Amino acid sequence: MFVLSLFLMGADNGDQNGKEWGKLLEQRKQLNVRIKKLMREQDYLVFQKTMYESDSKYLIINIPAKTGQLKYKNRALKDVHFKLVSGRTSRLTPGALTLTEKIEGPRKRNLLVFGQSLVLQDKYAPATRSESGIPHLSLSRKDFLSMYYAVESGAKAFILF
Amino acid sequence: MSEAVMIKKLPTFKLPCLLISLMLLTGFSEDQFVPIEALREEIRHLSQRVARLEEENQGLGNMLRDLDDGELYLVVDTESNRLTMRQGNAVLMTAIVGTGSRQFLKEERGRIWYFESPLGSFTVLGRERNPVWIRPDWSYVEENMPIPPRNDPDRFVRDVLGKYAILLGNGYKIHGTKWKNLLGTHFTHGCVSLDDEDLEVVHTSVKNGTRVYIY
Repeated sequence: MFVLSLFLMGADNGDQNGKEWGKLLEQRKQLNVRIKKLMREQDYLVFQKTMYESDSKYLIINIPAKTGQLKYKNRALKDVHFKLVSGRTSRLTPGALTLTEKIEGPRKRNLLVFGQSLVLQDKYAPATRSESGIPHLSLSRKDFLSMYYAVESGAKAFILF
Repeated sequence: MSEAVMIKKLPTFKLPCLLISLMLLTGFSEDQFVPIEALREEIRHLSQRVARLEEENQGLGNMLRDLDDGELYLVVDTESNRLTMRQGNAVLMTAIVGTGSRQFLKEERGRIWYFESPLGSFTVLGRERNPVWIRPDWSYVEENMPIPPRNDPDRFVRDVLGKYAILLGNGYKIHGTKWKNLLGTHFTHGCVSLDDEDLEVVHTSVKNGTRVYIY
């Protein structure tokens, strides 16, 4: 009888531990998700702070909203809308990109290339690198040319998801 | 080893195999070996990290908000010939403008002018009503006219810059124009031209010190 009651007490205790353990695992999961989110937020805040102190124009590209903004320090200079014309935006990760190439195409069919991550183009430019899966975002011709001539190679962009 | 012995030994592996299969089927993970105390400790650390990150982000956010002065400012896009009046992220007005022609003018004596709107960040230095245009030398060269002396009365021309002029420095201004049909193109000698209504709005909205960004 004594042994049986000890066993039952142990079982009850084990069940309680199991419940707490499950709760703790869930809590840990939620905390890790929160940390990831806060770190992304911090990346964006640090990026903004850096750009506010810098003397270059930069882009903010909001992928879900399909909008972009040309900025200089804390000032918005231009708002644009874009469309995904080829590639996959799932290849992009939130964070900073650098403009590596400004390609002058025939009849001003120019491209802004952000390494192997992203290409911005006007809606008539051929999507030359689409095979590689690099997302190509197209803007209206007027908006694209404004952006094209506003930024220099080495300019920064920040991708928001 | 004979087959009979092997068959006899097999059952000894059955229990661990069965356990592993069961663990895999029931969603076993390595977490199930983490002692509860270690898990509590890890959560304490993670919570501290969350608190630290939240505090840092709040500090950074406040710092950025402090820099957002909420002031009105003008943006001139010389590629699409548009002027935008903004306050923070809000667009208050957009106007079609004329900007520098991006043309060269060469004088026989050797002087060369390039008519481009200046790019960069500027400040409104002053505002004028009924501004008078003081014709520069290039204006005479352009029309193949003899260049008069500096203070010649012929240089002072009224009614060509519209009702207002907003001074940006180095002779550059935002002003009205007689050539309204050319708005939206590159036709000026570097100044930014607007039609009368838009000019009125801009003139009454800006003050000395208002920032103007031309790109």
